[in-house]
Amino acid sequence: MNWHLKRAGQALFTLWAVVTLSFVMVRMLPWSAEDIVVAELIQQNPNLAQNRDMLRRQVQDMLMIDPDASITEAYVQYMMSVMQGDLGTTYGVRSGEEVSAIIAGALPWTIWVMSLATFGMFALALALGAIMAYREQSAFDYSNSAVAIVAASIPYYVAAVVFIKYIGFSDFLFLEMIPARNRLPDGVAVGLTFEFVSGAFRHALLPALSFIVTGYGLTALAMRGNSIQTLGEDYVRVARLRGLPDRRIALRYVGRNAVLPLYTWLIISIGTMFGGAVILEQLFNYHGVGYWMLEAIEANDMPLMMGTFIVLTAAMVVAIWFGDLTYGKLDPRIKSGDEGEAY
Amino acid sequence: MSLNDTFTSETELHGVSDPIIEIRDAEVVFEMDRGVSRVLDNVNLTVERGEILGIVGESGSGKSMLASAILDAVVDPGILSGSITYYPENGDPIDVLSLSDEELRKLRWESISMVFQGAMTSFNPTMSIRGHFEETLDAHDFDIEEGMERGHQILSDLYLESERVMDSYPHELSGGMRQRALIALSVLLEPDVLVMDEPTAALDLLMQRSILALLESLKEKYDLTMVFITHDLPLVAELSDRLAVMYAFELIEQGPTNEILQNAGHPYTRSLLNATPNLDAPLSEMRPIEGSAPDPVNVPKGCSYHPRCSVANNRCVEADPEYQQITEEHVAACFHCDDAVEAIPLTHDQAVVQEDEP
Ligand code: SF4
Repeated sequence: MNWHLKRAGQALFTLWAVVTLSFVMVRMLPWSAEDIVVAELIQQNPNLAQNRDMLRRQVQDMLMIDPDASITEAYVQYMMSVMQGDLGTTYGVRSGEEVSAIIAGALPWTIWVMSLATFGMFALALALGAIMAYREQSAFDYSNSAVAIVAASIPYYVAAVVFIKYIGFSDFLFLEMIPARNRLPDGVAVGLTFEFVSGAFRHALLPALSFIVTGYGLTALAMRGNSIQTLGEDYVRVARLRGLPDRRIALRYVGRNAVLPLYTWLIISIGTMFGGAVILEQLFNYHGVGYWMLEAIEANDMPLMMGTFIVLTAAMVVAIWFGDLTYGKLDPRIKSGDEGEAY
Repeated sequence: MSLNDTFTSETELHGVSDPIIEIRDAEVVFEMDRGVSRVLDNVNLTVERGEILGIVGESGSGKSMLASAILDAVVDPGILSGSITYYPENGDPIDVLSLSDEELRKLRWESISMVFQGAMTSFNPTMSIRGHFEETLDAHDFDIEEGMERGHQILSDLYLESERVMDSYPHELSGGMRQRALIALSVLLEPDVLVMDEPTAALDLLMQRSILALLESLKEKYDLTMVFITHDLPLVAELSDRLAVMYAFELIEQGPTNEILQNAGHPYTRSLLNATPNLDAPLSEMRPIEGSAPDPVNVPKGCSYHPRCSVANNRCVEADPEYQQITEEHVAACFHCDDAVEAIPLTHDQAVVQEDEP
């Protein structure tokens, strides 16, 4: 139990650090975020120049920072509003909209693509790696090892561009079913309909594939190595002598123990994928959190920038925290806290 | 050239009247780049029903290979030839090497079971001990409830808290507990024969002794025949009824434990006895055997022990000695057994004999 508390504390601390960092970053920019906002507001509404109070309120509304307050006061105010889920209001992209609303509309899509990519990649990598290990030094093993290494050396965005060009805009057979842009087909509403589900899947396919194809290689090779090592373990030999069915040995003995070291890898890869989402969503015009982050940077939209930054990092922190919590379930040797004591 | 011809009457030669396992001309070869590696060479051995047979040899003498051979479990790409016959209590003899995969799967663990070297790592680290017991019963179509009851009983027989051990993961058990849990798992399906390869190697002396004692009572209670393979001669001497000594992938001497301890015929066995640390023997009298065990690809011609043997002569270099009868139940593969007895006096035979007699 202790350990859980500690781990939760760590996650919370990371979140706090991220939020604080975004605050500091805004403050430390070579130009003043407030100046930009003020200039922009006055440009939209010249009357504000005279009405300093009104101007201040509007600035505070957007940046969650009172330009006249001291830095401590500003920090406290800012933290309070973030904790209440208020991330300010945009002024560049989609001017005037609540940042939290934009993110709420985008985050599920990013998570959807990322989950598809992560699970697809690991399913492919684990299965392939295990089969390669079982057929060590066969033609299947050699050719797949080579392909995996080549695939792993391609950057995901290059794969994305290739996919867009040759699949996304191709009419060849079923390829026209796989679009290269947007989150959904035109005119399909969110809901539990076949159009929605299949549309969401088809539109997420290419972004996810870009990650899968370029990411599975190293994982598959690692799985292969782990499996070969596990196959040589005494307990696998004893399991065979005990007459256990091959399937059980493959899954419960070789697979389970070979996957363990990869679990941490899986969790870390979620982090890199969220980072990759920024570029990938831009390429596929996929309106997820990463897409808005890049838009915000281009438009110098400070609140949206901060909001997406906070949310992306928070998603990573939560994913890693979840991974840590579940690792103990997978590997009994890493039991959390005092209950793992040997006797 | 096979030794088989000389075994006209097994009973006369080895004093075995009711065999449970019979190994004839067992040979294991590995094709390697630098030549053929023969890691088991013409081994003939009969295990008597209900006995404890000790097999002693240095590491690299092929004794683990013999253990694997009994279960037809030689790892690829090793090739096992010869014949291995298992005599069930009731029913026809079974030719182990000609069984189908499924029959072999049944034979292992149900009739002949095994505790391997490396018991510390014989359990799946991500599964509880209970899981190991249950899946074993399940794989052999045994009644799980009844089998688990027996499992608990065996664990208790081995002085373990059965509930607690069953619920534990392997890493939660100490070495001695894990070893005993493994022994319990190996007799779970009530096999007739238990083959153990260095089952106490990783344990401290005290734990070794207690495991030996437990094995003896387990043998009585569950009516087991045991083959105990080890490098530790004094250890197995305490337990076994008969001993077989392995050198350079061959069995060079076989006989009742007492006979071998007091009157070993083979120079290697005698040197081994003298080289063995024993509390009662003065340290100054311990003599290590000079030289090292031969390479399986390149076993010396003639008697494979001749480069290290102190009584070797030309004959030993030219010809491979066959078993010589020392007593009715005691054979040694040496031309000069009588010379050996004189040339290599045993330094501590008295002490071992005392230990052996309860
Ligand atoms: S046969 Fe010769 S070399 Fe071999 S053990 Fe006997 S005396 Fe030594």
